[in-house]
Amino acid sequence: MFDFSDFKESPLMYGLAALIIGFVVIESVFFLVKAWKRGKELGISTETLKNTVVSSALFSVAPAISILATVIVLASALGIVLPWIRLSVIGNLLYETSAANTMLDVLGSNINTEVTNPEDFSAIAWVMTVGISLGLVLVTIFGRFIIKKINKATTKSEKSSNIADIISASAFIGIISAFVAQAINGKSSDGSSDAGFMSIVTLVSAVVISLIFETLCQRFKLKKLEIFAMPLSIFGAMAVAVLLNMWLPAEITSFTWWG
Amino acid sequence: MSKIKKQRDYFDSVHIWGRIWSIGALLVLFSLPVAFSAYYDAWPNAKLVLEALLRLIPLYWLSSIIEVITFTPMLGAGGAYLSFVTGNITNLKLPCSLSAMEQAKVKANSEEGEVISTIAVASSAITTTIIIAVGVLLFNPFLPALRESEALKPAFSYVSSALFGALGASYLKKHWKISIFPVVVGIAVLFFVPSFGVSTLLFVTIVAAVGGALVMSKLKLVK
Repeated sequence: MFDFSDFKESPLMYGLAALIIGFVVIESVFFLVKAWKRGKELGISTETLKNTVVSSALFSVAPAISILATVIVLASALGIVLPWIRLSVIGNLLYETSAANTMLDVLGSNINTEVTNPEDFSAIAWVMTVGISLGLVLVTIFGRFIIKKINKATTKSEKSSNIADIISASAFIGIISAFVAQAINGKSSDGSSDAGFMSIVTLVSAVVISLIFETLCQRFKLKKLEIFAMPLSIFGAMAVAVLLNMWLPAEITSFTWWG
Repeated sequence: MSKIKKQRDYFDSVHIWGRIWSIGALLVLFSLPVAFSAYYDAWPNAKLVLEALLRLIPLYWLSSIIEVITFTPMLGAGGAYLSFVTGNITNLKLPCSLSAMEQAKVKANSEEGEVISTIAVASSAITTTIIIAVGVLLFNPFLPALRESEALKPAFSYVSSALFGALGASYLKKHWKISIFPVVVGIAVLFFVPSFGVSTLLFVTIVAAVGGALVMSKLKLVK
């Protein structure tokens, strides 16, 4: 099961994984407890706090599985441990894949070929780490300044507070719009998830399932179901994609605008 | 007065701890390439590393700067420090935090929003870390089969369509007037530059959404 003779999956690598991943979990628990205590002081009900924990955990299941899928994709070249660490700390799907791809390209290799030389592996680890660290450095230095500036600008008067509400609601819509636009018309870097029939069907299914849940929850006052509505809609849409891919002819399911 | 003082104390302490944990995270993060290179005496060829970084940095550092400026105010202090350490912000932490604030009916720029966002990001980070760890350790032998499963491929290829469709449904329904413009702008941008990275596209659609909404509110088309 585990090949410790391989430097990519050596006890050293597993030890580093334990250290790094343990750090992330402890930090998360620290902030969770801190925010929970402050929430109680602010008079937020235990039920709301609990619901936030449960719904956020459930919300994360489907994306976490897709992150796991990226770990697996990268594992054929890099072993399982490095992608596992990189995608548990700071990393993100797009960045880690392109960072590894770029370094492998410079080394004259590609993502489907196993890295067998420790120097090459070390180069990839350095590139993945250095490239992704800037965001963390910036938020450490400027995070406080940015939040202070924004808070100051938005709490000046009632009018600016109203503008702040419009800005925060529309910024959220801006985020969703980017992904909706990508599902309708986007092109992925490796061509694996270009927009076309499947992306649009998945998007529409998610919207429809989500609206059905919303109506059910409102009409029958199903408070408990509200927490599960989001993850169930995500999984429902993913299931529709899998089933259509099985049932419909490949000419339809593989149709994308980008050929 | 004491309420304001308490609020300030909480924010101050979040910033202090946020910075301490972030510096710790950077040290732990760099321990990987340093320890590996030292243990195997496998220091990489600096020229090649630099060549790869020069290709990556212009794109990724620009998007890092945009992410810090755009996402930090939306995530709140605690949520931002935690998100930038645990990663997967656009595809997980940010939508998760926004969804939690929407469900708890709190605003991003309030202290309640700060608390809910931090709890959401922390819960999401713990869940994700556990799922990935369990997946790697338990399913290691089966992973290649799962990866090559043609049947499951579409589910993972289009996870962001499913996620944002589900997340956006009620929001887009409620605010359809201000949603049309940024979606159209996003589609138009992708029409001309199909391979636009998601972080850059996000910046464009957020600016379009906010700008469009402010203009519509000035014209009294939205409340």
